[in-house]
Amino acid sequence: MRIIVILGRVLDPAGITINQRAGRIFVNREEYVIQPADRCALEVALRIKDATAAEVVVLPRGPLPDDDILRQALAIGADRAVYFTRERFKADEAVMVRLLEAAIDRLGGADLVLTGATTLDSGQGQLGPRMAAALDWPQILDAWQAEVVDGAVQAVRQDGTGYVTVEAALPAVVTVVPGAVKPRYPDGVRLVNIYKNVGEIAAALERWEVTDLVGVDMLVPLVERRGQDFPPPRERGVRLSGAPDEVAVAAAQALQKRMNG
Amino acid sequence: MDFTLSPEHQALRRMIREVVQNEVAPLAAEIDRHHIVPIETMRKIGATGLLGVCFPQKYGGMGAGEMGYCILMEEVNKVCTSTGTNVGAHIGIGAMAIYLDGNEEQKRKYLTPLARGEKFAAFGLTESGAGSDAAAIRTRAVREGDSWILDGGKVFITNGGYADTITILAVTDPTLGARGGITAFIAETDWKGFKVAREEDKMGIRGTSTAELVFEELRVPHENVLGKVGEGFIIFMKSLDMGRLTLGAACIGGSEMAVDSAVRWAKTRQQYGEELAHKQSVQWKIANMATELEALRSLVYRTAWLVDTGQPFSQLAAMCKLYGSEVASRAIDMALQIHGGLGFTRDFPLERGFRDARIGEIYEGTSEVQKIVIANNIFREHGVRVRP
Repeated sequence: MRIIVILGRVLDPAGITINQRAGRIFVNREEYVIQPADRCALEVALRIKDATAAEVVVLPRGPLPDDDILRQALAIGADRAVYFTRERFKADEAVMVRLLEAAIDRLGGADLVLTGATTLDSGQGQLGPRMAAALDWPQILDAWQAEVVDGAVQAVRQDGTGYVTVEAALPAVVTVVPGAVKPRYPDGVRLVNIYKNVGEIAAALERWEVTDLVGVDMLVPLVERRGQDFPPPRERGVRLSGAPDEVAVAAAQALQKRMNG
Repeated sequence: MDFTLSPEHQALRRMIREVVQNEVAPLAAEIDRHHIVPIETMRKIGATGLLGVCFPQKYGGMGAGEMGYCILMEEVNKVCTSTGTNVGAHIGIGAMAIYLDGNEEQKRKYLTPLARGEKFAAFGLTESGAGSDAAAIRTRAVREGDSWILDGGKVFITNGGYADTITILAVTDPTLGARGGITAFIAETDWKGFKVAREEDKMGIRGTSTAELVFEELRVPHENVLGKVGEGFIIFMKSLDMGRLTLGAACIGGSEMAVDSAVRWAKTRQQYGEELAHKQSVQWKIANMATELEALRSLVYRTAWLVDTGQPFSQLAAMCKLYGSEVASRAIDMALQIHGGLGFTRDFPLERGFRDARIGEIYEGTSEVQKIVIANNIFREHGVRVRP
């Protein structure tokens, strides 16, 4: 069985300071980590691998300036990783889906695609559903855990106030919510070897030219990025006082008014 | 000259930060308050491979060199000096002696489980009558057939209360003294005749085990002699050289914690209508702390580079510990002053840091001993052999 994990990078939240007043993000130390939801997806994949002996292949969810997070994923336990190379490589989800589909094809197909349900920085969650549509596979979104049982993937999703287990026949796409599982740490030896490019693990990181996978005409992004801004400041709340039942009524009215207005 | 960390060391630092934030930080205050040795934390750190960070992969280590070990000490001690001390005593002196002077069989049998974090190590040198004057030890080892029988005891042994493997220095020929008369042994703590007599109640690093050990007819097989009979003192001093460097790295962590918390506090605390950051008295303290921290970092990293490239480093390692422990103590003192009364309370980690920092100038060779080592090295270059 082959499991594809699609993952991206994000500035390490522990290394930045956000100054609302100055309207700026100060980068204290520039360090990138795997997107938290993607890291959970990788963990889910590795648990399936532990249980059923699958091959876990890591692909990037977008253009990357370097292969660092792929090395991180290999250190954590992925078997293979592919880095897409192209000069001035730009892509949105639409382009990435074409590219990832071609990459999966070149790998010889896959049984399960796992990725994060959302990204920490830009809050994007399109990649999973888009992959499912492009591959014409069933999808399970926002899973808390997933396992492979008798040729199907069973995943736990939140449903209202409870949890439900849903099942999809393989091959399928599953997106995993951030914080769903506690991801394992990198393995010390794998980490040192992959960053030193020594040992067997060095061959696990491959570099594929983007234009070998899809034609140049397929590489035109639909979305243009013009900049970024802070969200508008939140409205101040109202302080209610009085006896508990009066406050409860006033709160209900205030909420209703806000929902209608 | 290139001062950038290699990619594997950058990745290692990121990994260590994650492990430390998840496993060490949540317990740091509690283990200090309640005098608990965090053995479970040690096991978790061990499971990642970090307890073998500097040892070769063929002995179960990571192969990240002395530089990797310095990064580990720096990051752990930034958050918890107790856990840092447990890790340091295990890797830096306990396992290090076996790595430096053990034979192939001893490394396979003893170093490998230590590097993998499956077992823990301690380093048995200090005795009640032999502190700075380490050659004055009186623990006796007498040959009996294929074994040595050890009688005596050790004090202030870090990790002594829970270690599985311990290196012990003992007198094998009282007529010869330090050169020729002292031998190092590897012992297992579940052997008959090994006893933990008591644990010290300490001012700082309260999440560590500092034990008094007693050996009563402790039988150690001859194959467990570390190095050659009579060369134990030199073997132990070599381990201490390495230990000094990494204690310097530990002090980088303590100083960083102090600078970080001082800056954070100066940014938020307001007096006389403005943040402390705008007060020159605070700015100058922070500027001094940061300057000393950078000087220490340069010294420690360069010394680690000397070790990893196989060059002499003994004098610089002593400087790392001497200067590092002073810098960390000063930085934490300054940070506490900037915090005022709140820094004195147990609600802020500076109170713990202040108590923890004091041991830096004492253990693994006092500041005075470091100065002897440094002066010895300097005078030796000028043809003078200094009397101790």
